[in-house]
Amino acid sequence: MYFTNVNLGQYIPTGSFIHRLDPRAKLFSLLLIISAIFPSKGVIALGFWTALLVLAVHVSKISWRIVLRASRPVMFLVIFTLVFNMIAASWGGNLGRGIRTSFFMASRLLVLMMFAVLLPLTTAPLELADGLDALLSPLARVGFPAHESAMMIGMALRFIPLLMQETDKIMRAQLSRGARLDQGNIFQRVKAFFPVLIPLFIIIFRRADDIAVAMEARGYEGGEGRTRRKPLVWKMTDSLVLVMCAVISGVSFIL
Amino acid sequence: MNVQNNDTPLIEVKSVSFAYGAKNTGRALNRVSFFVSRGERIAVLGHNGSGKSTLVRILGGLVSPSEGTCLVNGTDIQEMDFKELRRTIGMVFQDPENQIVAAMVEDDAAFAPENQGLPSREIQARVDSALLRVNMTHKQDSSVAALSGGEKQRLALAGVLAAKVECLILDEATAMLDPKGRLDIEQALRELHAAGMTIIQVTHQIGAENFDDIHRVIVLSHGSIKWQGTTWEFWDKAEELGFELPDEFRFRKYCENKGLSFPDDFVNVKAVLDEAANDESHSPAKFKVDDLSFRYTDKSYALRNIDAEFLSGEWLSIIGRTGSGKSTLVQHLNALYKIQEGQILFDGEALPQKGEEVHTLRQRVGLVFQHPEDQLFSPTVREELAFAPKNAGFRKQELDEAIIYGLECAGLPREFLDRSPIALSGGERRLVAIASVLSARPECVVLDEPLAGLDASYQRKILGMLGRLRDEGKTIITVTHDLDMALNYSDRILILRNAAKIREGRPHEVLEELMNVLDPEAWPDVLRISAEIRKANHDFPLVYNYQELIACISQT
Repeated sequence: MYFTNVNLGQYIPTGSFIHRLDPRAKLFSLLLIISAIFPSKGVIALGFWTALLVLAVHVSKISWRIVLRASRPVMFLVIFTLVFNMIAASWGGNLGRGIRTSFFMASRLLVLMMFAVLLPLTTAPLELADGLDALLSPLARVGFPAHESAMMIGMALRFIPLLMQETDKIMRAQLSRGARLDQGNIFQRVKAFFPVLIPLFIIIFRRADDIAVAMEARGYEGGEGRTRRKPLVWKMTDSLVLVMCAVISGVSFIL
Repeated sequence: MNVQNNDTPLIEVKSVSFAYGAKNTGRALNRVSFFVSRGERIAVLGHNGSGKSTLVRILGGLVSPSEGTCLVNGTDIQEMDFKELRRTIGMVFQDPENQIVAAMVEDDAAFAPENQGLPSREIQARVDSALLRVNMTHKQDSSVAALSGGEKQRLALAGVLAAKVECLILDEATAMLDPKGRLDIEQALRELHAAGMTIIQVTHQIGAENFDDIHRVIVLSHGSIKWQGTTWEFWDKAEELGFELPDEFRFRKYCENKGLSFPDDFVNVKAVLDEAANDESHSPAKFKVDDLSFRYTDKSYALRNIDAEFLSGEWLSIIGRTGSGKSTLVQHLNALYKIQEGQILFDGEALPQKGEEVHTLRQRVGLVFQHPEDQLFSPTVREELAFAPKNAGFRKQELDEAIIYGLECAGLPREFLDRSPIALSGGERRLVAIASVLSARPECVVLDEPLAGLDASYQRKILGMLGRLRDEGKTIITVTHDLDMALNYSDRILILRNAAKIREGRPHEVLEELMNVLDPEAWPDVLRISAEIRKANHDFPLVYNYQELIACISQT
């Protein structure tokens, strides 16, 4: 496959403790964790967070193979950070320190990203969308399209695998017609991609049109008056997990 | 609630017209009137462009008619409460992908009752019952991406049933499915109808699978009702109205006329098949596939030790279920897949795998993917047809000739060159897409399901074109579920199952293997009939062609 080895936002149901948490609790916890990891400076703090990540993956009952595969799209960012920092740091002359800092920064980013990757892996797309909907709803009062944004994210998660397949098929078809997608300089390559992009956009627009009609036919009128098959229920464990995450984040600042 | 007695038809269409755009350049619908009673099952038949999709949207209250009214339970659909309307009429469209909004099965089935604002427990009950009615309960925790096409469409149907509608409108709902998927949907519809559901099926052909269940047929042509009557009356009129009868019905009719009863009267028929001129082909092998294997990254086989020959001037069909390795095999032929094990000889030479030679190969071997009309991207047909030959290095006069060649192969008039592909009809776009591969003058053309989703007239056009290309000496390879096409049009058939080759041979030689590999619902009517006769009468030959079947019978 040319374009289907990306596993963005693929939900893996295992029924673990993390899977059963309220999506709002997970979203909040993730926010806490990210804001704690970002400013962390020491190797100890990083080791601490790595240990927690290992624990979280273990509890989620999702295999490392899947977690790593799902992290593949962010690896580019990690490697970029590594190389960029290495060049920047060693510019000053101290190569040893440069390598050390850049490895530290890249690992920090990697740990952070993998926490983020765990969220869609352990949360069904609709739950995730509902969680976002709930968290964004205060903003709706100031005119922010909270429900629509959450719905959009939910739909995007549904359609990503399909669009990947479609892109793959169009690429193959155009290669068959002699398109040179992988040759020439950057401008030629971008230009060569038009025969892929244009049909893809046509398909997306046509699908969007059809989906809108199908949604209307099923009685969708926006968020107002909609109920849920599984309404979000905030449980004691959700509060506990959130408090724990807050405490852990606090502790990591001291480390 | 409105006054409802059983005399009020569920739906009453009164002189409805519809025109797209401001300019009155031909109406999509012109004074259409009919009614549908509660519990009826009707078919609205029409070829592409007959206005049936517009009618569907009007019946569903999704667009308003330009003139006339459409009453649902006696109320004008335009004045009806939105929620009330959505509880009354449910719609299933052609492409299941465009109807499923959630990534998980249960979440999607819950969409309509959630929109109705029902309590959670009621929603769950509706979801459970809807999934049960379409036989999808075992998939309730599955992700939508993991479903087959037929399962997706059944989920779309469940999503509508969960709204507890009184009437179902299906717009070509089985056109994109394989025979098994089609049959599963038909089964679900039959049960729903038996339970009192009103069903309106909008389609371009009535298949054997639902002929007996439909009460009434309305034929739509150029926006007007051309004919309406019972299914039995339609039977006699079908050919006159431009529709092909399924072979099973032609046969039933034949038996009826001759006073034969099936299969009892065929037990003693002794028939001999006229052996088709069995001259062994002397044409050279275009492709020689030798012990080809291919594995996915997870080490499972997509192809396993395949040996095959594709000849010049021959039309070969590759048959197999979804996932049998058909598309992996053909995509090796123009190096979209790189050879892992084994080899492929093209005109006696090893198939190039990289570099400039691959581009030359792709000019010589044209690949037409499923629904190729989705790959069109140019502002005009001329530019679309120029893409492949230009990439192959054709210039100036050579290029102009190539464009005309592609256009003529597809049987399209010159005027098409300056039109925009997007503005064409579905069938015309398919022809342009095929022409855009042919314009590079390939020696071998591979087509994946070239007839899928087309109406009979475009199917005939494409079959004719492929026959002519074969007679020009090109190698034609079709990958298909369509046994009618494979048996009646191609010269040889290659059968794949679970990544391995089962058999390769002339159509009449491979019938038994085909019947082993594919479910009975995928067998052509004639083959099924002859197999049934053969069960009681071992002398009766297996045949796939209607004329042959009749010839065998009349030999007594």
